Amino acid sequence: MKKDKKNSFNTPEGYFDNFNDRLMDRIKKEEAEETTSLIPKSDGFAVPDAYFDEVTPTVLSKTVAKETKVIQFKSNRNFYYGVAAVAAIFILIFSFTWNSNPEPITFDDLANAEIESYLENTDFEMTSYEIAEVVSLEEMELTDMLGDDFEDDIIMEYLDENVEDIKELNLDDTDYE
Amino acid sequence: MIAEETLVQELKQEASRSKAFEVLVKTYKERLYWHIRRIVLNHDDTDDVLQNTFIKVYRSIDKFKGDSKLYSWMYRIATNESLTFLKQKSKKMGVSDQELKDRMVENLQADVYFDGDEIQLKLQKALATLPDKQKLVFTMKYFQEMKYKDISEALDTSVGALKTSYHLAVKKIEAYLKEN
Repeated sequence: MKKDKKNSFNTPEGYFDNFNDRLMDRIKKEEAEETTSLIPKSDGFAVPDAYFDEVTPTVLSKTVAKETKVIQFKSNRNFYYGVAAVAAIFILIFSFTWNSNPEPITFDDLANAEIESYLENTDFEMTSYEIAEVVSLEEMELTDMLGDDFEDDIIMEYLDENVEDIKELNLDDTDYE
Repeated sequence: MIAEETLVQELKQEASRSKAFEVLVKTYKERLYWHIRRIVLNHDDTDDVLQNTFIKVYRSIDKFKGDSKLYSWMYRIATNESLTFLKQKSKKMGVSDQELKDRMVENLQADVYFDGDEIQLKLQKALATLPDKQKLVFTMKYFQEMKYKDISEALDTSVGALKTSYHLAVKKIEAYLKEN
């Protein structure tokens, strides 16, 4: 037992001699408990054998080696031109002949000539009067019958040339003359 | 090991670039690999991202101003490449970021390069629930044993904020492991 000269408290023998060691042990233990209480120290990932030896040349081949490698393009220029020309011809042919998404043919795709020829050559077994009965004339316009849409001034010009006295027609259009 | 400043100088000079870059790859490949691996989890994806990271470092070495350590700068590139890789992957698969993370952890069970036991798998599940920043700080501190100062440079975040993120991450992981 060691006695303090100034007070009457005592400490066990050798208490201060190993205090530091005991303190450090406890700190280490607490630190270890804090960090590894539940969370595992390793996360279980692995790499293929020799991966780290192989990755260096792989990276260098894609960076350093790629930059310093000189490709002799000039000597093969004619060859590349030939390849490019053949490729261009193929692309041209395919773009004309190959349709990846063919659309179904609709009524609008038929040419007018084909429709007219069909109407002329097919016997509907109906006379003009019978057709007139089923087709409503009220909804029809002059332009429905004509192939071209005539402008007013073209009509007036026609009348001027073919009618003897245009004034007899009593047209409202005073701008004309 | 070659001093970082010397290495940077040599990388910026064309005559010494090739040799210096080889030293750089050899010095940092393992550290960057493990950093990327802990983000993308799968070895093949890690290999792709690691190579992309080095290619980017090689191409943009002239842009490195030396404000931070070369090592932290490369960590930043590796982090960005990894997170971009995951974003592109989730977009390609047509799933959300969280769904991709969950699937990545599920795939670990069949991964030949994952030796983890049940608790390590649970740890990955817990990590998948964390926000990106918290997960990054946790893995960099806990598994890679990086100093807060270096993490701060790599993630461009203050040391104080990192300590908070780490503390929160540990609490969340522990709570997850206790619950499950």
